[in-house]
Amino acid sequence: MTTKPEKDKPEETPRLTSNVKAAGCAAKISAHELKQILAGLPKIYDANLLTSITNFEDAAVYKLHDDQAVIQTVDFFPPVVDDPYLFGQVAATNALSDIYAMGGTPLLALAIFCFPTCDYPLSMAAEILRGGADQIVKAGAMVAGGHSIQGSEVLYGLAVTGLVHPGKMLTNGGAKSGDAIVLTKALGTGVSLLALKADLLDHEEQARLFSSLTTLNNRPLSVLNGIDIHACTDVTGFGLIGHIHEMTKASKLAASISINKLRFLPSCLELAKEGLVPAGSYANRKSFESNVSYINDLPLEVTDLIYDPQTSGGLLLAVRADQVDEVLKRLGDDKIEASHIGQFLEGIPGHIDVTIH
Amino acid sequence: MKKELDLRGLTCPEPVLRTKKIIDDQAVSSVEALVDSEVNVQNLERLARSQKLFVKKESVGNHFKVSIDRQEAQVADQNETHAKMPHQATGVAGGFAEATRGGGTIVFISKDTFGHGSDSEKDHDFSHNLLNVFLQTIQQSGLKPRAILMANSGVKLIDPNASTYKVLCDLKDGGTTVLACGLCLDYYGLKDKVPLEQVTNMFAICEYLFAADQVLSP
Repeated sequence: MTTKPEKDKPEETPRLTSNVKAAGCAAKISAHELKQILAGLPKIYDANLLTSITNFEDAAVYKLHDDQAVIQTVDFFPPVVDDPYLFGQVAATNALSDIYAMGGTPLLALAIFCFPTCDYPLSMAAEILRGGADQIVKAGAMVAGGHSIQGSEVLYGLAVTGLVHPGKMLTNGGAKSGDAIVLTKALGTGVSLLALKADLLDHEEQARLFSSLTTLNNRPLSVLNGIDIHACTDVTGFGLIGHIHEMTKASKLAASISINKLRFLPSCLELAKEGLVPAGSYANRKSFESNVSYINDLPLEVTDLIYDPQTSGGLLLAVRADQVDEVLKRLGDDKIEASHIGQFLEGIPGHIDVTIH
Repeated sequence: MKKELDLRGLTCPEPVLRTKKIIDDQAVSSVEALVDSEVNVQNLERLARSQKLFVKKESVGNHFKVSIDRQEAQVADQNETHAKMPHQATGVAGGFAEATRGGGTIVFISKDTFGHGSDSEKDHDFSHNLLNVFLQTIQQSGLKPRAILMANSGVKLIDPNASTYKVLCDLKDGGTTVLACGLCLDYYGLKDKVPLEQVTNMFAICEYLFAADQVLSP
């Protein structure tokens, strides 16, 4: 048995994901390592910079005028799927998400591209960029340029610029005690992408996964116009627990999460149980588990999923408890798979209780 | 038949897939797999447990040897219980969540009586009734402990047939967290009678007790 059969057949084009170690947002540097890396950076003081790097915000927001701020974000990662066009779409959906998570609208994007032209045909590169550009257009923005280099691994993503009214900006902070936590997509892209790589997903499971990965996060906030949203972020590499932890810390609150209210992509509990758990999930557990109390005994695969790194995950919203039914109705009417998964509470900032109900 | 696998140098999910292919063959009685990352070890442990097979790991130099065995089924049962204790099963050494429960007053009931008289049945009934009165008094005075935790024979209080069941429900409706030790419920044959959200574990009990401003144990 050879370990890397694809190397023996140079005449064939390798699968786009064949050399990838960690897929999508699972490729993120872990939270505790990132903290060490960022510790030495110079402190920034600027009254117009509305976000703080210490709150692990999704994007930087800079006030231009009293009624306008610019949002900047960048996201890129190695291929998560073999279809180059689809990979482009997923990377763009993921990059745009940070703009929506700040309550903004995307305007311009610049592509960031690393591609080994010796290993893959140029047509593949063109397809990746086309998938990304099409998705950016779908979001009402445009790819206005970019930068490409040669490298040993394929990497693609975008730097996106958006606009937001400073008064309508949403951050990790701002949630109030008693607020309901609403999540707008099912969990499990980390496990599912690993299973995809292992050819363990059937056609329908693949379709569900691809649809989740390419669903723009632009709809939730636009259908919730008029609702009081106190805080917002998108679930990405740090998993559900990691991102709720960032919200609770920034909002100086605790939170409780109900496992029964979570939605999972098809089969991912079974797959996690059989050992299809990405490295990023273990890293997230290591980074965040000291903030978590498991009030009830929970199966290991369930706790694996709450740490599962998400690629192009859903939005986490803090909304007033008395508006949560209206929120779920509006999101449901728009075919968004949202659920009310828990609440923010007074307590030790950053702490999360995990219960069955 | 015994099988040995060298899975070093392979990235996830390859080690799990190759091991699964081997253990799916019923003729294979045991597998020894060499892997070079902690992630692969933990994923192989999950695979073995999901197939109800015995698994053990050891460090060998800078890699790991994971042994999976089909024979030792009863030991695999133990692992099943293990799998429900995430902290232990993942080997996370983090200890208790930092001051998790936010202090407050915790009522910790580790037996089904308030103090104890002699061992006679009559005295036991009296001591048990006293406990009921204690809980009623808490409830009627409007005192709201942060949590009532039950362990050992104390879990009998939450049996739906027990005289104390109603007052515990009232306290719960009033905002007090009411939890019983799962291991103890199991021991006293009550596990099926108590809703899952009221079943807890020693880890959470310790977190509550250590973070409490005061613990009352009648």
